[in-house]
Amino acid sequence: MAATTIRLSYYLCCLLLIVQVHSVNRDNFKTCDQSGFCKRHRSMQPGNSPYIVLMDSLKISSSQISVQLLNTKTNVRLVLDLYGLQGNTARVKINELEPLKPRYEIPVGDVLIGEPKQQDLKVLDKGAGSITLGLEDNKIVVSYSPFRIDFIAGEEPVVSINAQGLLKFEHFRKKPEAQPEEQAPANPIEGEEKKEEEGEKKEEEKKPDNEEEPGLWEETYKSFHDPKPNGPASVGIDVSFPGFENVYGIPEHAESMALKTTKDTDPYRLFNLDVFEYELYNPMALYGSVPVMWAHNEKSTVGIYWNNAAETWIDIRSTTADKNFFSKIADLVKGNTEMAQMDTHWFSESGVVDIFVMLGPRPKDVFKQYAALTGSTELPPLFAIAYHQCRWNYNDQDDVKNVDANMDSFDIPYDVIWLDIEHTNGKRYFTWDAHKFPSSKDMINGVAVKGRKMVTIVDPHLKRDDNYNVYTDAKNRDMMVKGGGGEEYEGWCWPGSSSWPDFINPEVRNWWASKFQYSEYGGSTPDLYIWNDMNEPSVFNGPEITFHKDVQHYGGTENRDVHNLYGFYVQKATAEGILMRSNNEQRPFVLTRAFFAGSQRFGAVWTGDNMGEWSHLKVSNPMLLTLNLAGITFSGADVGGFFRNPDHELQTRWYQAGSFQPFFRAHAHIDTKRREPFLLPEENMKIVREAIRKRYTYLPFWYTLFYHGFRSGETVMSPLWVTYPEDKSTFEMDDEYLLGSSLLVKPITEQGSVGTSVYFPGKDESYAGSQNTYVNAPLDKIPVFQRGGSIVPRKMRVRRSSSLMASDPFTLIICLDKQGEASGDFFKNNILQSSNADPSGKGSTKEWVEKLIIVGYPKLPQVSISQLMAIHSLYITAMIVTAEC
Amino acid sequence: MYCIYFLLIVGVKVSAEIGRPRGVSISMASKYEPNDQKIFRCLDGSGTIPYEHLNDDYCDCADGSDEPGTSACTNGKFHCTNAGYTPKNVQSSRVNDGVCDCCDGSDEYEGKIECVNNCKELGKKMREEQDEKRRLQEEGFKKREGFIAEANNMMEGKKLKIQELEKEKTELQDKLKELEAKKAEAEGPEKEAKDKHEQAWKEQKEVRDKERSAIKAREAFDELDLNKDGFVDVLEIIPHMEFDIDSNGVVSEEEAKEHLEDNEKVDFDEFSSRIWGNIQSIYKKLVPDDQKEVPPPPVEPQGETGVPAPTEEPQATPHITPIPDEGDDYDDEDDEDEDDEEDAVDEDKMPEYDEETKALIAAADEARKNHEEADKRSRDIDGEITTLTSYLNTDYGKDKEYAILRDNCYEYTDREYTYKLCPFATASQRPKAGGHETNLGRWGRWENDYKVQVYDHGQNCWNGPDRSVKVHLTCGPEHQLTNAYEPSRCEYAFDFITPCACNQPPQPQDKDPHDEL
Repeated sequence: MAATTIRLSYYLCCLLLIVQVHSVNRDNFKTCDQSGFCKRHRSMQPGNSPYIVLMDSLKISSSQISVQLLNTKTNVRLVLDLYGLQGNTARVKINELEPLKPRYEIPVGDVLIGEPKQQDLKVLDKGAGSITLGLEDNKIVVSYSPFRIDFIAGEEPVVSINAQGLLKFEHFRKKPEAQPEEQAPANPIEGEEKKEEEGEKKEEEKKPDNEEEPGLWEETYKSFHDPKPNGPASVGIDVSFPGFENVYGIPEHAESMALKTTKDTDPYRLFNLDVFEYELYNPMALYGSVPVMWAHNEKSTVGIYWNNAAETWIDIRSTTADKNFFSKIADLVKGNTEMAQMDTHWFSESGVVDIFVMLGPRPKDVFKQYAALTGSTELPPLFAIAYHQCRWNYNDQDDVKNVDANMDSFDIPYDVIWLDIEHTNGKRYFTWDAHKFPSSKDMINGVAVKGRKMVTIVDPHLKRDDNYNVYTDAKNRDMMVKGGGGEEYEGWCWPGSSSWPDFINPEVRNWWASKFQYSEYGGSTPDLYIWNDMNEPSVFNGPEITFHKDVQHYGGTENRDVHNLYGFYVQKATAEGILMRSNNEQRPFVLTRAFFAGSQRFGAVWTGDNMGEWSHLKVSNPMLLTLNLAGITFSGADVGGFFRNPDHELQTRWYQAGSFQPFFRAHAHIDTKRREPFLLPEENMKIVREAIRKRYTYLPFWYTLFYHGFRSGETVMSPLWVTYPEDKSTFEMDDEYLLGSSLLVKPITEQGSVGTSVYFPGKDESYAGSQNTYVNAPLDKIPVFQRGGSIVPRKMRVRRSSSLMASDPFTLIICLDKQGEASGDFFKNNILQSSNADPSGKGSTKEWVEKLIIVGYPKLPQVSISQLMAIHSLYITAMIVTAEC
Repeated sequence: MYCIYFLLIVGVKVSAEIGRPRGVSISMASKYEPNDQKIFRCLDGSGTIPYEHLNDDYCDCADGSDEPGTSACTNGKFHCTNAGYTPKNVQSSRVNDGVCDCCDGSDEYEGKIECVNNCKELGKKMREEQDEKRRLQEEGFKKREGFIAEANNMMEGKKLKIQELEKEKTELQDKLKELEAKKAEAEGPEKEAKDKHEQAWKEQKEVRDKERSAIKAREAFDELDLNKDGFVDVLEIIPHMEFDIDSNGVVSEEEAKEHLEDNEKVDFDEFSSRIWGNIQSIYKKLVPDDQKEVPPPPVEPQGETGVPAPTEEPQATPHITPIPDEGDDYDDEDDEDEDDEEDAVDEDKMPEYDEETKALIAAADEARKNHEEADKRSRDIDGEITTLTSYLNTDYGKDKEYAILRDNCYEYTDREYTYKLCPFATASQRPKAGGHETNLGRWGRWENDYKVQVYDHGQNCWNGPDRSVKVHLTCGPEHQLTNAYEPSRCEYAFDFITPCACNQPPQPQDKDPHDEL
């Protein structure tokens, strides 16, 4: 739900046109040309960097070197800190040597789960032009003049920083007086520093380069004025990936999985925005941002995490590597063939340069390395990975009751029924519409007796109403975000005039978390969970439908510095609230629309307000694959599409696709026709029911996948190259994917399609036949295949909800490989409790294995029943069924 | 790919039950009786299993018939006896799932949940409700019979009415023909006489106009011929500013000459035959000196005078005269013009018809009137027949039981709106607080075997569909709209109770068949 027609109605009829063309209004969002810092960075040409390393300043400690960088054009000094981190990871941090005031850095513990564990750096060589450091099996070469850093894994250069010389660091400065005449510096500077400062000043006066252009101290976009009190403060640098042809990541964009060169478009933009009816396949920003990028080729997988929460743009070019340079620092394979290279250029409006270089070398290694920094997806409670029934809006308690009853009478399982904004008293979150939901607890209990849950929406905008206690409480505690002038910021959202709590402030987050106590949130029960929408935040009358950039947050930061973190903190605080209300005993479930790196720790993400069109079904796969690659593994797209009315075929195919995506929720806009699955014509209803039931049979498998993801940071929904890294034909494949490494899924996303060509990776493994095989897929079939050699746990006794299946027996689907072997595992714990995810933990369950289905073997295998009965223990690794051929 | 499946049974739970197996109804019990071989044959005949594999919590039969008492088969059914209430078959997936689905609690024998056996209470309540329902249904059904009879009478009446109307129409057809002929008969001579009279008037008028024009030409000539030499020459044209072709404020010799058709001077004959015709529309009398400040009039032809009859006087004069008093009053000006017109018409009015013609006209008027009256009646009859036919052609249900609702309206008011249903016509909504009525739909069709009425093509929703209503009809003692709601935006649903929907209740049985043991 979101920026929708209701909002548009505020703007009168001129916007009617926009609604009718049914696509994004690009005029609402900035292009790079309309953003001062983007334009400044993008206009830089590759070439020699003006920065050199001042070797005299070099300080080496066991796991860190620290050295000053000098801009030879401006004489401004920066400081570079290079850290070795555990797990083939390095950190490159560049800040001003002596900033006028501290530059914003994201507090450790928020996005980074803690201070990263350091790893020794060995000085391998300290020459006149460079210093070479050893980090485990990798080398890091810091060249002095011009400054650049190259990372060499084995003998292969894999990452270069500032190789294009695009480092640009807009140091804090004093606002020039109106009089351009020379005047003494306002603050006397001591000793030799002073000379440099003067030198710098002269340089600047002599060379009024592009930094003197307008837009440094204020900018205007449409009717919005940005006063920019701190002046220019952006940072940018280039990162190249020699030897790579593909890069991935940096969600959220409605884009293919393999990122495209941005030569002829704007750069990819990371700036959390509420985009009404977004367009597909372009680099425009969407609701969330994860500045992490992977480069992958047959030999290795590496990547970077750009630890900056400000508006960020990323340019991507496909080029060839400078073999001449690399031959000096690495023993390159000889030969004249050109080496591909991906050049990327990152720039953010404020903050510091803080790059984590993850050196893999395998896909699963980089995921682990990234999870070590920002955490992994918390194991969701079981109901959260089952089927969710949502709509804007279930009108009242009777409506909820009827939908619940209909799902049962049609024997369609579901776990959660959702309430959108209309359930509240006038969009005052934490309240209920007293006429429509007079006894919410009875309603929740009514579905909970069947093991089901409910979710209500709680958005971060608070109606400015002195009779609304959540608002007055926040106001009285001075917890609201402030406007540029220090007044309580006011904007327009669903309830009309609204204010926003300052979630950047840890105390505000604690306060917010306390609002989920049962005593505070009247009418809630332990079976009620939460959905955070509009948390980019969406401000209907704000620039680009969000906060003004000079909005003031906790600790003297501007929204400019922390914009992409706001939604992250909203979900964090909400998840903490849900955890707290159960005395930390039950794992929370919170869905969010806005997100940042690390959001995976707090719940699920969905791809926002998509459309009920085939193209949007199709794009859901690359979008979710990219989210998975960026750590947000618990993600999904609205099944059926949020806007418009999908036809029965599309709705059916969407259910089939959604049933094999991590977060599986049907949702619809208030203006659409009712489309609960039982309303479909019988033929479609049966197919959809079958798809949902299939999801329930695979829940043990999904739960195990999420468990592995939680332990290792692995993707749940994976590109094929994660499991088959050497198979080049999979590198851009985003219409087919793997769940774990066992199930291959190729959802039908074309209208009228009755079959599809499936690519079966892995030469020595047999799925079905040759590598490209046409498979029939009439409307009732989902092309899903289990890998030979794998065992998938299922529960075939599908009941009304997942928790009613908690003590049901397993069926193991065993697909033998060519050697007649298969292995697999499954994970079992309390499906809700938070304290029980320990694999070594003991426990018991009433579940048993009722059936083994062995596929791919000509005669009965020799299996000991007693061995199988041992499966009653908590966690089984690599149960191998072996038998003779 | 090898594709051999086989199943391995793990964990065997043999149920030890007495009598018929758990989850089997009495009527099916014989199928589950052990035979000599202790073999159970799946009910669909698909296979056989040892008897002890019945209800062993492992699904053997494709039809699920070997596991009537467990959740092992996804397609199985569990029979709850529900003594005291209605027996029921529930899906196997509801056995031992922790939810009480049978009122006797028999579906939850594993003890995941303590189910209270409330079949007796439910049964009592159900019977009371059934009795009440039956009573209502009987009552309603009686009414319904009455409605049907009434509807049939009404229909018959309407059919008769149609017949009458058709008969009348047939008769009227002959009369119409007759009247049409009479009309034609009277109109012939009338037209002839009128044409004759009008032609005479036209000729007379032409002569008179010509004479008038000659008089005006004479007047103009005399005025222009300042030196009274019997010629109008160039110098006499020059003072007339209306002849200033290029509007430069001066009438040049060339301009003057042009008006005289390239002559230096013309005599009266030439003036009246060649010149006057061209200049009469712009020519003006010279005005006295003290009025000369008035700007010259527009050169355009004075179209607004309405009657384009040849002008008797230099026409522009009244228009350059300053409008008296509050000269902005256009209405006055218009009135003036109309007055002028009337004057002109009066003057040029055709003389009345002669008495003979008048008599012919009166006769023709009478014939026309008679014809028109008959024709109107004929059209009225058509209209009535259409209405009646449409009424008769509407589907009022299997037995026309709903016809009684037509031409009535029923209202329901909730917190915000009053909803109105006029069966077989319209559905609408208006805010309680006052405001416009919104059309929610017009009568469309029946759905769901005469249980649902659809009203559609109502007022369009912004950015959405046309409004529509589904009316759900159920048996009730009176006609009453009992609920109105909006499940999807602009797609409404009404609940309407009516005796029309009451079917004949089943005859009460002597014995409650549900009291199984």
